[in-house]
Amino acid sequence: MAFNDPHRSSSNFCGRTRREFLWQAGAGFTSVALAGLLSRDGFFNQPARGAAMASTLANPLAPKPTQIPAKATSVIFLFMYGGPSHVDTFDYKPKLYELDGKTVPVKTKGRGGEKNVGRVVGPKWNFKQYGQSGQWVSELFPHLSQCVDDIAFIKSMQADSPIHGSAMLQMNSGKILSGSPALGSWLNYGLGSVNENLPGFCVMLDPSGGPISGAKNWSNGYMPAVYQGTVLRSKGAPILDLETPPGATRELQRDLLDALADINSDHLAARSDNTDLAARISSYELAFKMQKHAPEAIDLAQESEATKALYGMDHPRTLDFGTRCLLARRMVERGVRFIQLYSGGSHNDANWDAHGDLEKNHNFHAGNTDKPIAGLLQDLKQRGLLDSTLIVWGGEFGRQPTAEYANGTGRDHNAMGFTMWMAGGGIKGGCSVGVTDELGSAAIEDPFHVKRLHATILHQMGLDPNRLSYFHGGLDQKLVGVEHVDPIHQIIA
Amino acid sequence: MSRWIAILLLIVCVFAIAHVSPATLNAAETSSLDPTTRAAEAAKLAAAVQPLLARHCFACHGPDKAEAGLKLSQKESAFGSRDGGAPAIVPGHPEKSELLARITSKDADERMPPKSKPLKPAEIEVVRRWIEVGAPWRGHWAFEPPQPQQPPKVTKADWVTNPIDAFILARLEENGLTPAPPADKATLLRRAYFDLTGLPPTPEEVVAFLADTSPDAYAKVIDRLLASPHYGEKWGRHWLDLVRFADTNSFERDGIKQNAWRFRDYVIRSFNDDKPYDQFVREQLAGDELPLVTPDSIAATGYYRLGLWDDEPADRLQARYDELDDIVATTGQVFLGLTINCARCHDHKIDPISQVDYYGMLAAVHEIRPFGEGNQVDMSSPQIVARYEEMERKLEPFNREIHELEQRGITKMSAEDQRKSEGKGRDKLLAAKLVKMLEPADWASYSELRQQRAAAEAELGKLPARETTLGIKCLPKPPETFIFARGNPHVPGKSVTTSVPAIFKSSLPEIKPPADGKTSGRRLALANWIASPDNMLTSRVMANRVWQYHFGRGIVRSSSNFGNLGDSPTHPELLDWLAAELVRNNWQLKPLHRLLMLSSAYRQSSRGNSEALAKDSLNDLFWRFDIRRLTAEEVRDSILAATGTLNDKMYGPGVYPEISKQVMAGQSVPGAGWGHSSPEEAARRSIYIHAKRSLITPILADFDFADTDGSCPVRFATTQPAQALSMLNGEFANQMAGKLLERIRRDAGDQPPAQIKRALWLIASREPDAKTVDRSLKLLQTLADKHHCSPDAAMKYFCLMALNLNEFVFLD
Repeated sequence: MAFNDPHRSSSNFCGRTRREFLWQAGAGFTSVALAGLLSRDGFFNQPARGAAMASTLANPLAPKPTQIPAKATSVIFLFMYGGPSHVDTFDYKPKLYELDGKTVPVKTKGRGGEKNVGRVVGPKWNFKQYGQSGQWVSELFPHLSQCVDDIAFIKSMQADSPIHGSAMLQMNSGKILSGSPALGSWLNYGLGSVNENLPGFCVMLDPSGGPISGAKNWSNGYMPAVYQGTVLRSKGAPILDLETPPGATRELQRDLLDALADINSDHLAARSDNTDLAARISSYELAFKMQKHAPEAIDLAQESEATKALYGMDHPRTLDFGTRCLLARRMVERGVRFIQLYSGGSHNDANWDAHGDLEKNHNFHAGNTDKPIAGLLQDLKQRGLLDSTLIVWGGEFGRQPTAEYANGTGRDHNAMGFTMWMAGGGIKGGCSVGVTDELGSAAIEDPFHVKRLHATILHQMGLDPNRLSYFHGGLDQKLVGVEHVDPIHQIIA
Repeated sequence: MSRWIAILLLIVCVFAIAHVSPATLNAAETSSLDPTTRAAEAAKLAAAVQPLLARHCFACHGPDKAEAGLKLSQKESAFGSRDGGAPAIVPGHPEKSELLARITSKDADERMPPKSKPLKPAEIEVVRRWIEVGAPWRGHWAFEPPQPQQPPKVTKADWVTNPIDAFILARLEENGLTPAPPADKATLLRRAYFDLTGLPPTPEEVVAFLADTSPDAYAKVIDRLLASPHYGEKWGRHWLDLVRFADTNSFERDGIKQNAWRFRDYVIRSFNDDKPYDQFVREQLAGDELPLVTPDSIAATGYYRLGLWDDEPADRLQARYDELDDIVATTGQVFLGLTINCARCHDHKIDPISQVDYYGMLAAVHEIRPFGEGNQVDMSSPQIVARYEEMERKLEPFNREIHELEQRGITKMSAEDQRKSEGKGRDKLLAAKLVKMLEPADWASYSELRQQRAAAEAELGKLPARETTLGIKCLPKPPETFIFARGNPHVPGKSVTTSVPAIFKSSLPEIKPPADGKTSGRRLALANWIASPDNMLTSRVMANRVWQYHFGRGIVRSSSNFGNLGDSPTHPELLDWLAAELVRNNWQLKPLHRLLMLSSAYRQSSRGNSEALAKDSLNDLFWRFDIRRLTAEEVRDSILAATGTLNDKMYGPGVYPEISKQVMAGQSVPGAGWGHSSPEEAARRSIYIHAKRSLITPILADFDFADTDGSCPVRFATTQPAQALSMLNGEFANQMAGKLLERIRRDAGDQPPAQIKRALWLIASREPDAKTVDRSLKLLQTLADKHHCSPDAAMKYFCLMALNLNEFVFLD
């Protein structure tokens, strides 16, 4: 959770030297200097009860200035875990229908290894052009197809790995090896949080379970734990340990916290120059405030029936994802920087990983999410939030045009060419960039590596992908790696 | 005179940025007339300029790149004339030096460094003045061998308990500061307990120590703590942070590293035995190649197997070299304090470490087979090993043929069934359907083979169990090592042999294959080179770590990076002296702990005073002891200790404290890979918790547990509301509040004041003050009156509050 400034500790900066810390201080990444001034002025000498104190202490995760002008202030990443098939969703390949069932030469690389020939599986859905811009969308998305003029399709995505574990890590953290911070961590590190009552990086999981590698997908990696993603639940207490234990009322806890703050303030009085102690006192007040505000953030009672219906919450099929999409909008309204929703969880057909029966799998997952996502786009738009909210849709990779097994329609993974889309947040709607070959097996024009997608997200959020860095292991680490990476300018409005 | 003061102020500002102590340049204030002072100023300017050039210029004019033919990392190049212009530096003549012209240019196209912020005026002034005094050239401090050091003379000699204090005090006196008064006895005892054992003293131990007025009372405590088995658990954990210890592999399956716990136990035992550090190094790097191989030295080689491992990599060759890179990176940073890993793709941008250095080091470990090709080493008797090998040879053809037949049938199955055959349902599927898919003759031989295999397996089952540990298997012959263009293993370049980085100006000892012929001897040569008293970095890096874990920060703060981008030592002479002490004491750590902890410097109070805070707010000069927050393990372990629930059983396979369902819900298969431990087992010290990379125990993660995926030389100490939430509302905290309640009732009888005092004693290891007791009693009253809590319920809430006190989680 991102509420406090990790740099305020006077001596510990794991992996980072104080020089790095001071560099960042120069870049406006810390409030420690202010805290130091306050302490020197004897500011902390005045014992204060917790609540009063929290409001007067410098907010440790105050919003930080952007590096470049920002187009968006929040990101909603709709993660289609398992890898949706691009040739059955947005990347229209007429040739595949003709070749259905025929064995053709085509290079593929997936879970089943590298192959040079394969049996084509014709797309199982028809495509049509939609909107004024005439974007191709398959029958899988009857609702989303109405929104294409707000969407930019990137049809030539490439990733380094066609294997879930490493590909998930790359889509979330830029690296195929674990240990690096997630996109949401980078955004909170670079921008701070504008709402101290909610985590700046929220993850909402599919009811079937988390994705493989679990928490590694929202890990802070080598950054401090304050930048870690927080799992937000749509039922019960939204955040771990948010509810007071059975029997303890909020008023009771207030009295408990006052006693705690009193004793902690006595302790602080003799150590008034130590800002860590003061920070811990104020963190209890933040926690207390969160207990009030976080449940309010997820309380959908304030939403009209019409709004709920727009998200498909009136239908059991779309209730879950619709609820999470609506929650995402509420998080955006409350200033949360990065919200990630997983469509699909667990293993096999509980997510988009259609190795067996493609039709059954994709009908199920698209059917669960189509209306909610369209509803989210429309709702954000009608509230004037779409301009400042960047929506990202996609999985860790796409799927092959050919069958994986001798029988059936299942497709293996494909990281050499796949589709993702973005909308809102300064993205040019109604356009498509990049092209795969006529079978959809690999990007052939304007291939865009995952790094380019990440660079675009950072850029729209007001961060320079080539300057946002964190010193670790002897290197200025960047989300996009050491080489210069450009955002995808073609889709930026 | 006023000009000197102005320069001094500028220099001080630079040091705030470049982090060299402001104190280092005070000499400048005393004018430049006196030659001794002038020499001192020159030396200090040289030391100050070097990191400035490294940081701002080396990326383009350094070891890797020499744009416009200029390398500011080399004296000849920096002072030499270049085609098309003046030399970059003309000693004594700032006005003729192109370097100064370029860093001060108003023209954005001319100004250096390009495309980034210009140097600050204070930094420019340091460069200018340095050139003016003759540009005395100095290499990077860490790349010069340590020098024998004599403790300096000091005025306030009675403060000096041992030479450490002389080094510290000399710098304090130079800067007009005085050390803080000694910490009170109870504070000192708590500090010593946590530093050496990670646990608080019991109230009884505090009382006994306060009563012991003998002059060696404190020294006796130190000796007792050093002899405690808890010492190894505390200091072993530091080492586990460095070698990125975990029990699992990460990635999709995050599978278990069998017997990784034996490595953890090896580390704990080594610290408790005060194993000489040079031996500790040799065992981890070459425990299988030593003249005397023992089960312990084999367990030590688990070192090579602790990193990430992707069992299903997208690019096998890349994954192979990622695995080796992880070893080179960790070895370079942990043992040598060098980021050799930065030279994987190109020569190091800032430090003089080349790709040849990187691949030369990689060659030393190149013979290690990938993790997936064998990571369990038998520690059983050779006879048993031989019998197992024989049986396995027998089984191998059965397994192969059976598998072949199964696959033959599977390819004829439906896509769904084929998919199923790749998972857990395989056996069930085969039992149900294989017979229909195979030709009768195939089926007959399949059945026959299975019977034969079952018989062989039964025989195998009769053998005594073998004991294996996490370790390495090596290739019969080390493969040839190539330099990879841009680090890409698919683009091999020049071939290299095993070597050590050129900056050491030394070479590897002769590589001799051990007698068993199973390995090349390269790793032993590397280990002997690292573990040599002549290695200019090994002893300094380790002495600095020991200092760091006692004083909260290293003399070099970047304790795994002694290179140009690391921090300069605040007390370089002390560091050299400590390194020499470490070697002199046969590389044993316990004498060093004793020395450090008996020093007056260590025994200072942590209280601030405004004068010192104004002069040195970051405590660069050690004018006091720094307050520190407890580490994640210390938080959890001392909660267990205070509540009387800690199970101090040592060693063995990892344990699984309960993790809430909400946390497990983040896993793709909730609960997978997390076992069940009895409440007693779950209450063992945190170092024994199964370290699952994708599922770190929440209370440890909240309090900044070491990142498991890379070496962690310094823990974070963050403050965030998630900590408060878990400590107030979490199941563990509330359960522990209940245990504390039980304990104080047991220990202190029925009366609330006595119970409260007992709880506060357990929490803070000191006599509670009346005000705190008062406030606590008032809380009980409020809980009873306003919230109608029963006396027990109220006292339990008090216990919960007590566990949340700052005094509990911060150490003075």
